[in-house]
Amino acid sequence: MTSRTAYFFLLPALILYSVFVVLPILQVVGYSFFDWDNGIIGQFVGLNNYSRLGSDGVFWAALGHNAIWVALTLAFPLMAGLLLSAILAERNSSTIRWMAAIYFIPRTIPLVVAGIIWGWIYNPLFGLLNFVLDSVGLGSLAGAWLAESNTALLSLNVVGAWTFFGFCVVIYLAAIQSIDPSLYEAAEIDGAKWWRKFRDITVPLLKNSTLFLGLYAAIEAMRFFDLIWVTTQGGPGYATEVLTTHVYKTFFLVGDFGYAAVLSVVLLAIVLSISSISFWILRSK
Amino acid sequence: MNKFAIRAITIVSTVTAVQAETVVTQWDQFSQSGISAAGPAMDELILTCAPAIDGASILRTIAPSIGIRDSYRLAVSAGKTPDLAYTWPAASVLAGYARVGALAPLDGYYEQYGWDHINDFYRGRNSYEGSLYGVPMEQDLMGVYYNKTLFAEHGISLPTTYAEFQAAAETFKSAGIVPVSFGNRGRWPATNTFSLILGLTAGKAAEEAVLFGDTPWTNDAFKLAAENFQAWANDGYFPRGFNGVGYDEANALFLSGNAAMTITGTWVLQDMIRGATDIDLGVFMLPPMVDGIEAGTMWGEGSQWQLSASASSETQDAAAAYLNCLLGDEAKQIWVQKANTVVIGTTPEELSEWGADPVVQEFFTAGLSTTENNFYDLHTTLPESVTQVLYPELQLLIGGETTADEFLNKMQTSWELAIANGERWRP
Repeated sequence: MTSRTAYFFLLPALILYSVFVVLPILQVVGYSFFDWDNGIIGQFVGLNNYSRLGSDGVFWAALGHNAIWVALTLAFPLMAGLLLSAILAERNSSTIRWMAAIYFIPRTIPLVVAGIIWGWIYNPLFGLLNFVLDSVGLGSLAGAWLAESNTALLSLNVVGAWTFFGFCVVIYLAAIQSIDPSLYEAAEIDGAKWWRKFRDITVPLLKNSTLFLGLYAAIEAMRFFDLIWVTTQGGPGYATEVLTTHVYKTFFLVGDFGYAAVLSVVLLAIVLSISSISFWILRSK
Repeated sequence: MNKFAIRAITIVSTVTAVQAETVVTQWDQFSQSGISAAGPAMDELILTCAPAIDGASILRTIAPSIGIRDSYRLAVSAGKTPDLAYTWPAASVLAGYARVGALAPLDGYYEQYGWDHINDFYRGRNSYEGSLYGVPMEQDLMGVYYNKTLFAEHGISLPTTYAEFQAAAETFKSAGIVPVSFGNRGRWPATNTFSLILGLTAGKAAEEAVLFGDTPWTNDAFKLAAENFQAWANDGYFPRGFNGVGYDEANALFLSGNAAMTITGTWVLQDMIRGATDIDLGVFMLPPMVDGIEAGTMWGEGSQWQLSASASSETQDAAAAYLNCLLGDEAKQIWVQKANTVVIGTTPEELSEWGADPVVQEFFTAGLSTTENNFYDLHTTLPESVTQVLYPELQLLIGGETTADEFLNKMQTSWELAIANGERWRP
């Protein structure tokens, strides 16, 4: 096949990509340089909209919350998924299939539904979590999980981890099963115990999977919206505000399309940067 | 899609046997349940008003109450507004749409149809630079829904002073009953409650001095109002974790008999009356919270009818005739009887004559007795940019995370920015 023929076959996809992805992105970038009044485009204002970023406390708070979300997602679902999949991998194939399916179920639940379910679990009036704590004599630990600034973001991150954890298990399990069993057999002959095998064989050989999951988690964490919107709308106060909720409010509720475009461009730049880094690292391996 | 679903989305009323020449597209928020649960009444009124619009037809789309303002904003941006919309909030947002030329001026129709029942207060809230752009319909009031049985069981009379209200709340709290059911997860309920507290603490004149004058938010009267609201939260008047409780959940808590009172508006009357199967429901007005402040309550229209500037003159004429019918005597009666919705200008005597639910009569008899002293609804008076600061800052204030001074400083900063951007609305 000549390169000209190859481009000919690629052309439809390129046109669709340009029309539905590239052009809208360029449009948003263009909007960010204009003043808007109630949805009607006004004067070209250059970088004026961008200059507001520095003094926008909500933007910086949201960016910080996104960073915390990324860190927590990397810390818990990935580590727990790695450990659990290593344990599971030693069971028989039937157990592995069933357990992996069970762990994966939360991943199949739309985040809006997950938000509603966990909203009920955390509800300060009739929530399951407080009920259980009361029932086992730990009523003093019961709280208004999503209503207090010091617990709201962490409580929501637990939900995020709940939906992501099963995905990590499935990816790691597949990767572990591709490791040559003779490596473990040789280690056993040398007297290595479970932890030593996990640390010196499993973890190093799962580096690429960990890298993929980590970068995927980071990108997902920047795009989070549904879960937060149905549970707290960024509150209480600004405690669970993230970039996506800030964009939504600025665009839909305030109607400040120019500044919403600026926030969108910043969010896009962050996600594209993470994506580029991930492609570069994965390709260099 | 079954017949019911199709009906729920769109209702086309064919007015004459022949095909209609003029179609008025209408967006409204009258659903079957929840806030503004007046959907069946709206359906009936479209049929009732058919003769008034002579050959035109109404193509109705129901938009969720919470989402309609966002949908309308996008429609304005895209130049695809419906001919007629019943959306919220009023005042400053309406003025914004008028400013960019999205809305048709309605002065001619006001004159043609003599909508004199819409008084100067409401006309002001629906005006921009001297012209009218909205037709308010529902009379919204804030009041205290209370459980008559719980009050009787604890020997509490209806509070006529703020001290009596506080004493009642303390009694219920001591008895392990939530004094005031309140849920602010959606962030807007606190805005209504604070509007009422502000009016009853600072008074109407002090509100106008800030909202329409040059007095800053950081004044003593506003500070006292913020402190009063925070004190309710600190003193345990509200259920645990109120910032994480939904508005509907708070209403359900009250209707289940687990709370003595809830403070909200007439917009939820329909649902309250339907849901009050386990309690004996009553209404009273919160007394003034400071000596020298006159009794009153928060007034508003919440939403208003508005006409698209891009609609043809025939369509605008048909829509105005239809609106005139919706505000007429026959329609007012249907609104009251089928939807517990009271059209502006309806008198307590008419409510009695039409056999309105006793709770509706109780609410409006009390609320309409202070017509000269109505307070402003911040939610529908402030520009959206300020409202979006008010929401989280009120959560922080009543959550005990900021002081009244910090709250008012944040409001003043956002207020100054809105004024600088030309977003402030004045009647």
